[in-house]
Amino acid sequence: MSSELNLDYSLLTPEFCLAGLAALILALDLFVDDFRKSWLPYVAAAGLAAVLALSLGWVNKESDFAGLLSVDNYTTFFRVFFMATAAVVALVSAQFVQDKLRHPGEYYALLVLSTIGAIYMAASRELLTAYISLELLSFCLFVLVSYAKHERRSNEGGLKYMLLGAFASAILLYGISMIYGTSGSTFYADIAAAYAGDTSAFDLALLLGLVMVLAGLGFKVAAVPFHMWTPDAYEGAPLPITAYLSATSKVAGFALLLRLFSGAFMPVLDDWQWIVAALAAMTMVLGNLVALQQHNIKRLLAYSSIGQVGYMLMAIAALSAATSSALLLHMTGYVITNLAAFTCIIAWYNLTGRDEISGFRGMAERTPLLAAALTAALFSLSGMPLFAGFFTKFMLFQAVADEGFLWLTVIAVVMSFVSLYYYLLVIREIYVSKPEEGEERLPVPALISGLTVALTIGVFYVGIFPRHLLDVAEEATKLLFA
Amino acid sequence: MEPVAQQIPLEHFLALSAILFSLGVYGVLTRRNAVLILMSVELMLNAASINMVAFAAYASPEKFTGMIFAVFIITIAAAEVGLALAIILRIFRNLGTANVDEVDELKW
Repeated sequence: MSSELNLDYSLLTPEFCLAGLAALILALDLFVDDFRKSWLPYVAAAGLAAVLALSLGWVNKESDFAGLLSVDNYTTFFRVFFMATAAVVALVSAQFVQDKLRHPGEYYALLVLSTIGAIYMAASRELLTAYISLELLSFCLFVLVSYAKHERRSNEGGLKYMLLGAFASAILLYGISMIYGTSGSTFYADIAAAYAGDTSAFDLALLLGLVMVLAGLGFKVAAVPFHMWTPDAYEGAPLPITAYLSATSKVAGFALLLRLFSGAFMPVLDDWQWIVAALAAMTMVLGNLVALQQHNIKRLLAYSSIGQVGYMLMAIAALSAATSSALLLHMTGYVITNLAAFTCIIAWYNLTGRDEISGFRGMAERTPLLAAALTAALFSLSGMPLFAGFFTKFMLFQAVADEGFLWLTVIAVVMSFVSLYYYLLVIREIYVSKPEEGEERLPVPALISGLTVALTIGVFYVGIFPRHLLDVAEEATKLLFA
Repeated sequence: MEPVAQQIPLEHFLALSAILFSLGVYGVLTRRNAVLILMSVELMLNAASINMVAFAAYASPEKFTGMIFAVFIITIAAAEVGLALAIILRIFRNLGTANVDEVDELKW
């Protein structure tokens, strides 16, 4: 670390604006009666879009704040990513929050604040900063998951998430203390320098530290065997928060893993590579197999998202420039697809109050647009050609195989086929099962229709012209391996 | 002045923290009451803090990274307790119990 610290606060402008936006939302909720409930999501989404546009000003610039936070293409990529996700979730939440939840001000404020945590997880290059950002994101999510405070399932999901989350952070911290003890620093670059030489003097402590850091972060991204909270938190959480959990909390975990492992632990690759590969294999297999027997759409998507985490972990196991850009591409495709699926599911739930898989019967006749979009999203998740899922998975699997993990790729391909089965079960309910007597067509709000169409176009766009996004992902990850 | 570091070897601190950490893990795995689970987690966090401070004193005494880390761990742990107790209180009001094995509506 240099003695001259760069304390240029302007680098952090987007996050300051986000914090301001959260405060503004709270103030509007408190003081302006007309604003209560109905306008807050649009304020949140508009604010997020404005800050997103502002953060584009850092494209192709490279700087850091006091050595703690990098502001580079990687950070910019995730700034755009997380703010766009939060904006979509805010819009999707609008009706749900109005119907089902109280205190909308805090809801949207927490959504915006959690985005800051997620961005700093991607930006930090020092363990303490990374840890605090992770907790900022987690704490917001703990509250959001248990937000329906009079509903037992939300309470229970929140309790399990909270207790296991705290347990996992304690393990992570113990791991970090081992890393600090063996390397004498918490800066990624210094850790890498300390491990570059002979590590035989502290091999065991180092291994312990790596295992514990992996366990702690594995919990945050829901890798098997640290996934137990996922289905419960997904099912208990209010639906839009389930969508948010499946998108931001996962991707933020991977953003942190990617920078940490490429920046700090590359010299001791042999120590952790096999662990991550084993985690990836277990996660893919268990996530996809357990998904087969789910009856609730949220739990189905929870297990399917665990399966997806398995695919993503492969990229960490076979860490290289090619796999990390493929990982960014895959995560983008996955999040667009998942948001499209959840938009349809939330709209369907708002209209009918059903979230069991059997409750989707007759969707094709009652809301044709939502049915088509949900089907497209599910096909994309299973990796059908033309849709985003196919090409992003193809790139990811190919990059992983190129790094010598052919056996992992084989498992991944087999599991993709398995996943097609349970997605088809949902699609069968949508198209084959007839609606019950007297169930008419339902009016879908214009905003939801527009959002659904936009996200579905996104799914096809990534699937048909993946080159554009891949170029961006390559730009973003280039500096990790410079 | 001879710093404490030279009088007590590092291993003693590490052994203490390992014991604390194991006690915490044991508590989390065996306790039924959510509040007690939370207390066990706090034990684990304290174990990590002891490690941090000990490593800071022995490995890099001229820098304070580990000490600062410990201060942050304490702060975040306090926030965590506040949050967790609020959720547990809510559960207790709705279900009349804070035992995690009786909160079992969600199953796979």
